[in-house]
Amino acid sequence: MLPAQERTPASADSGGQAWNELKGEKLQALGLKGDVARGEEAFKICQGCHRRGATGSNSGMYPRLAGQHATVLIEQITDIRSGNRRNPTMEPFAEEHVLTTQEIADIAAYLQALPIPPNLGKGPGTALARGKELYARDCASCHGDKGQGNAGKFFPLVAGQHFKYLVREARFIRDGSRGNANPDMARVIKSYGDDDIEAVADYISRLAPP
Amino acid sequence: MLGLLLGGPALAGDTEKARNIVTEVCSACHGMDGNSVIPNFPKLAGRHPEYLVRELKEFVSGTRTSAIMTPIAAKLDPDDFKALGEYFGAQKPTSGQVLDQKAAAIGMKLYQDGDEERGVPSCAGCHSSDGAGSKRFPRLAGQHREYLIEQMYNFRNDVRNYGAARLMREVAKRLSEDEIKAVAEYLTGL
Repeated sequence: MLPAQERTPASADSGGQAWNELKGEKLQALGLKGDVARGEEAFKICQGCHRRGATGSNSGMYPRLAGQHATVLIEQITDIRSGNRRNPTMEPFAEEHVLTTQEIADIAAYLQALPIPPNLGKGPGTALARGKELYARDCASCHGDKGQGNAGKFFPLVAGQHFKYLVREARFIRDGSRGNANPDMARVIKSYGDDDIEAVADYISRLAPP
Repeated sequence: MLGLLLGGPALAGDTEKARNIVTEVCSACHGMDGNSVIPNFPKLAGRHPEYLVRELKEFVSGTRTSAIMTPIAAKLDPDDFKALGEYFGAQKPTSGQVLDQKAAAIGMKLYQDGDEERGVPSCAGCHSSDGAGSKRFPRLAGQHREYLIEQMYNFRNDVRNYGAARLMREVAKRLSEDEIKAVAEYLTGL
């Protein structure tokens, strides 16, 4: 893998933008102090899909957001709103007429503090050894040995995420359709077959969140 | 005015004044107790006061338009909005009668769960499971089906598209005409 400073700033997937360029509203939201109580109120807009307690759903349509790093949440919400991450399902619900920049920071603070629910969607459990091997080789250096992610580097907490959501997003990232994929990750999983993606997603979905 | 400045509940004098305004201006359409009996005029009873104030302000500013409400709101004194909101918010809301049980059952499922495959959020996420709403989202429980359907088309057709209402445009577009009717049927009976 190339060192971070040498990575291509504008991959085909990132729509000409460097991955997670800290500017504009993203930078502004990251600098705001999020308020948990206000975030709970503003999250009502989100819970019609992400469910009360931000559990997401086993179907993989909506990720679990409870316990996610606030920095990651701000990054993703502002990217979806700017179109940098392509998500036509969510974008209309995250536009500036619906949520203020402060509310994005509030929602992120609320979600980060939420307890992570147990028993989320898991895979078939048939290739866990392969999944463990791939995770240790390709994923752990960024997402952490326990899937805890890295708030400062905007790497999401992935442990215990819904299996089907992990599969869907990994495919988007591999196939270049997510929009704001980290180019390092896109490169690492470029050679993955669907079975590799499912094996590692199954392994991750069973990691106990911190 | 003092109640408005302090942000506390309306004073007794304001309540009396609000009652007089309701008698003279609002009651012909919305009913004295806010439970309109005319299907195209919404029930206001039990709505959150802040929501009512916001809508009145939108009628005045023109961000929400209505051939009927725009001129009426323009004649009201904005200092009275808070007391009016509290008056209607304190009224006991009534339920309507479900006429099509099958549609109501379909509507209940959509209202409570949405439809994940098509990206339809559950309505309950914002409007709450019992349809009581909040300061930001209107009460829907017991509302006239005709009014609900009309508003869904207003959202879909960009007639009502200010602020958070813009997210309703998307919801309305993701529902079929029959589904809009079904959700309205369910809500009428809540």
